[in-house]
Amino acid sequence: MFAEESPDWNLDLGGSADCELCGEEPATMHLLRVVDGTVSHTHLCAHCAEGMAEQTEGLALVLAVPSVLRRLSKKSSGDREATAGAASASREESFCGVCGTTLSDLRESGMVGCANCYGVFADHLEATVSRGAEPIEHLGKVPLRGPESDSLRHEMMRLERMLRELVAHERFEEAAGVRDRLADLGQRLDGAEA
Amino acid sequence: MSTSALTASAMSLSRNEAGKRFCHTEDAGALEELRAEVIGTLKSDQWERPWHIYDLDVMPPVDITHLVERGLMTPAFSEEAGEARGFAVYGNNQASLEINGLDHFNLIGFREGDQLESLWSLLSVLDDRLEAVVSYAFDPRWGYLTAYPGKAGTGLRAYATLHVPALMLTGKLAATALELVGHGLGIAPLWGGAGGVVQISNIARQTGPESDIVAEVENMSRAITEKERSVRKMLMREHPVQARDQIGRALGVAQHAWMMTFQEAVNLISAGQVGLEQGLVEAPGLAAESAFSLMSRLQPAHIVIDHMEVKTDCLDSPEIGEIRARVMREVFAGSSVR
Repeated sequence: MFAEESPDWNLDLGGSADCELCGEEPATMHLLRVVDGTVSHTHLCAHCAEGMAEQTEGLALVLAVPSVLRRLSKKSSGDREATAGAASASREESFCGVCGTTLSDLRESGMVGCANCYGVFADHLEATVSRGAEPIEHLGKVPLRGPESDSLRHEMMRLERMLRELVAHERFEEAAGVRDRLADLGQRLDGAEA
Repeated sequence: MSTSALTASAMSLSRNEAGKRFCHTEDAGALEELRAEVIGTLKSDQWERPWHIYDLDVMPPVDITHLVERGLMTPAFSEEAGEARGFAVYGNNQASLEINGLDHFNLIGFREGDQLESLWSLLSVLDDRLEAVVSYAFDPRWGYLTAYPGKAGTGLRAYATLHVPALMLTGKLAATALELVGHGLGIAPLWGGAGGVVQISNIARQTGPESDIVAEVENMSRAITEKERSVRKMLMREHPVQARDQIGRALGVAQHAWMMTFQEAVNLISAGQVGLEQGLVEAPGLAAESAFSLMSRLQPAHIVIDHMEVKTDCLDSPEIGEIRARVMREVFAGSSVR
């Protein structure tokens, strides 16, 4: 069975984006305390969460609110983009022609309406979902029925990553082989798309 | 009898049809068309085992809760009221499929014990078969596309259910949770945290490969299990009288109560199980099955389905508490502290 999760995990963030104790650090933890049957929820930074959990008598659980998800919250993304000035104002107008989702909808709910939204709101999503992480590269399973170009792109991304690592470790001979393989795949990709 | 703190494994795999908008923006007609097409495929003979199709519109609430309690349906899906939802269970409850919930498809697997790898093997095969009729929404960079971009990627969520009462009692679970965050994992209380039963899962967006996600959850589960074992030993060594007192009291209540809430039952079983594993308790009934299995069958809908002739839809019925207490008395009959 599956645990009932905090609403925070589903991006419906009503809580503060800043730590409710120190007010300085971003709140990336959700402290759930059960003392004598009374449940309380607090949004805290990692440091304050650790301190408060240690002081709490009874059941104390710290639930991690993934920071990448919190950034999608209305408040945090709104605050951040408000400081982005004119660029933000122009993005405010963007909407998906397939499902009608607007950037405001996305900020409000954290949800996109269709696959096309990933392209329409690419800048916003790249800035919020993948911030602080390595460049997004899907390394997992790929659809069996996807177009050949999807498989080729996926393989090329994997090889590009490998190439970077080989160069970083000064394994140039192996890197040359990977580079040649990349060139082959690039030609095949051009052919597939043509 | 299981002596592992890792009590159960669960997994979900989210997918969407490429040619349709996600459920919350798509027309009811298009979702209905998708449901009909997939249900038709599930009824075909291309599967190794048959699918059992459920009609959610006519199912009594207690039957839906029973599916949730057995780990075949997510709580979120059971509470949703979207358009054209469908649900099916594969084989002998090996897996299930939620249709038109948050995403178009959510494949689910649940098993007792350390079974994440085998769950992934099964769900991956079912996923491939489903793809024979569905063209998945996929982007080479983002991976499988989902309604929540934070979940795009593998679409995989792996859950390990752990029995960690000692970590919870001593407040050491908070430090463990903080450690999990660094690995992109989160922790949530199952059953409101009763009995120290929690669930850890991958919550940060992970791009795969899936085997790495499974390995990460398994490795962290084992590390937490080890920590739980060492804290239990410490408690027994440093507070032997208090430990015996708590466990003895639990046995006493379990043997003599005539009304019992589910949370209370889980707490008592948890204490009995710790006593059993530490060699402090003689409890033949408890030793005969896993503590997790016993806890599971004492959930409200399980009691209604398994024990009541007249199936009430009121899961707060006092009769459920009476039956639960009776089952506990039977299980703990003849138990004693050594």
